[in-house]
Amino acid sequence: MWARKLAAGLGACAVLAAAAGCGGSAPSGAAGVAAGRDRGPVKIGALHPVSGANAVDGQQMRRGAQLAVEAINAAGGIKSLGGRKVELATGDTQGKAEVGQSEAQRLISEGAVGFVGTYQSAVSTNAAVVAERNRVPFVMDVTASDAIFANGYKYSFRVQPGSAAIAGAAARYLKEVSEQAGKPVRKVAFLHEQTDFGSGAAEAFTAAAKKLGIEVGPNISYDALTVSDLTAQVTQVKASGADVLAVAGYYRDSLLAAKAIAAVKPDLNAVWGVSNGAYDQPKFVSDAGAVAERIFSTNYHFDAKNPQTAKLRQEYQRRYGAPMRTGAVLAYDAVQVIAQAVERAGSTDAEKVRDAIASSSVEPLTVGTGPISFAPNGDNKTALPVLMQVQGGQVKQVYPAEKAESQPNYSVTWRS
Amino acid sequence: MSNIGTKAQSPPAPAARRRPLLGGDGTGAVLKRAAVTGGLVAVAIAVALIKSGSGLVVWQSVVTGLLMGGLYGLIAMGLTLIFGVLDIVNFAHGALLAIAMFIAFGVVQGTGVHPYLTLLVAVPALFLLGAAVHRGLLSGTGGASLENQLLITLGLSLLLENGLLMFFGAEPKTVALPGDFQFSLFGAVVSGARLYAFLGAILIGAVLFWLLRRTRFGTAIRAVAANGQGAELVGVNVRRVHTLTFAIGTACAGAAAVLAAPLVTVTPTLGEQFNITAFVVVVLGGMGNVAGALVGGLLIGLVEQLTTIYMDGQSSLLGVFAVFVIVLFLRPQGLFGRRS
Repeated sequence: MWARKLAAGLGACAVLAAAAGCGGSAPSGAAGVAAGRDRGPVKIGALHPVSGANAVDGQQMRRGAQLAVEAINAAGGIKSLGGRKVELATGDTQGKAEVGQSEAQRLISEGAVGFVGTYQSAVSTNAAVVAERNRVPFVMDVTASDAIFANGYKYSFRVQPGSAAIAGAAARYLKEVSEQAGKPVRKVAFLHEQTDFGSGAAEAFTAAAKKLGIEVGPNISYDALTVSDLTAQVTQVKASGADVLAVAGYYRDSLLAAKAIAAVKPDLNAVWGVSNGAYDQPKFVSDAGAVAERIFSTNYHFDAKNPQTAKLRQEYQRRYGAPMRTGAVLAYDAVQVIAQAVERAGSTDAEKVRDAIASSSVEPLTVGTGPISFAPNGDNKTALPVLMQVQGGQVKQVYPAEKAESQPNYSVTWRS
Repeated sequence: MSNIGTKAQSPPAPAARRRPLLGGDGTGAVLKRAAVTGGLVAVAIAVALIKSGSGLVVWQSVVTGLLMGGLYGLIAMGLTLIFGVLDIVNFAHGALLAIAMFIAFGVVQGTGVHPYLTLLVAVPALFLLGAAVHRGLLSGTGGASLENQLLITLGLSLLLENGLLMFFGAEPKTVALPGDFQFSLFGAVVSGARLYAFLGAILIGAVLFWLLRRTRFGTAIRAVAANGQGAELVGVNVRRVHTLTFAIGTACAGAAAVLAAPLVTVTPTLGEQFNITAFVVVVLGGMGNVAGALVGGLLIGLVEQLTTIYMDGQSSLLGVFAVFVIVLFLRPQGLFGRRS
């Protein structure tokens, strides 16, 4: 009786899912040489998830890209093209890889000289294929996965530090900061969500930690979509005798983890976020309250010590009534990379723009070791992950020293 | 949980569907099954002990699992009641739960009252919403095909979720419980919010039981569940019972939502997270069996937590579905269901 009902229900689900995901497939070939590139404004594409579960970040990033375009136009547009204005061509990925693919194709067909995006690795993977096929440069603002850069693509670039770079930095910073505090790290337990994002971070961290002589274990993972309590997992950490707990997860589950840690109170010297989706967000501090205090996080970040970044973030706050997140600042940087390449190439020919991007030197508003410039595989050579900590209800950059707003406090609130 | 129901009183009506909402098998049979289930759980816990080597970890898992399970049971009770009486598999249950969470969030944001006081708003609101959904969308489909009812409830859940997304945005929200505390239960950490949610779920379950068992209205509901045509013949207003039952089932989701709000991050798609678990609990406990839903909830809560010990890095749903498949294989009618 009910078996028939359930079967029918699952059938209905499948029908609906199929109906919802009807992205048109992309025509192949060099349709990129579209009409309208030589006249009117220079179009730069921005491809982000402005609807669906990641809409908040997608919206932020689209606005960041928009602010970059306005800044370029206010400064006189593309001077080498006689002051031609720049225009943002926007696309919505809906957080779905196949939609991202067709939207990328659309932006190219509308004459974009290059595009930025997409926040999600799976979507970027598809968009990179479209960029390659049409020979149009794709500058990723946020894309954690490193796998895209193993394909030998010529048209894909990335501004943020990749997940392996962040995890490696997290291990290095942990060793240095713990030694400076006189409590050298011995054993790190790693709690992470179980998809590529969390597992990749854990693997990269473990490899880097091994080289530094730090033991990593136990490695505990969970399903971010369904988890509703992490108390038992944190109890496992407590039983393991680790002195540091690293956490790699998305916002909701990392918040659960923080609450569980505060409840179980394991004998830790530090809680260490790695590429963590919560621990460097002001929202996390307001949601978690006292629980958030002194939690560390290694991640990409807007440069809190750069006055230009501060000005941009003030402008964003004034206009949109919300604090500008790092993703939006990265989108700003990525649009600047394309615009300055057009400026240097003196052309809207996508091929020439791509070559100019490859030899970029663009001052970032996010944390880096110098101007944005790309390695042969397309990765940003100067991207620098930074260590942050919640101190007095504020997320502060604390390490390395030249980027630090205050000193790291290597301890936890429940153990003096 | 002993068998609350007694042997069915009415003469057997061969053509009618019979679904005893409070469990209807003989007490002995139910006790036997409960004992077997309990024995298997004990074995599972023992194996977990050997696997993890830490009594504290296992004990914490058991405590957390039971506390979560009470909540699952409450969510599933509403769902199973609706199925038992109306024969509707309600895919919108999770979305309605999310609506109630946002009502709780909105009231707390707007007035600053204690989160649990929002029960006074969320439960009646969900009761009315349930009644409206049934009257407006479902009561006309009484004779329609199953697929239609499924598509309606599925469509409704998409509509509700996206409505919440439009209205509240995708930004996750939190409902904080003022004066939340922690205490240690023989070494396991229990937070006040979790304990209250569990006790609240048990209490509401008991009220629902009392309602079904001891009131005229409850008798009418059970009569309709056991034999709709017969109930109609003796003067029960079946359509009204249907609407009220759907409303009560939805109100259960409303109560569960308020109790769970401090434990989760409130997002429009939150319902999906609970929907799958609730359906598993319903089937496990025996479709349409309210008592079974509570026991099934506790069981699934336990399985979920023990899975994390058994299989690190696997979704806890893996363990849940493994148990689900095994139970269905051995007892297609669920643990406490009856053969139809």
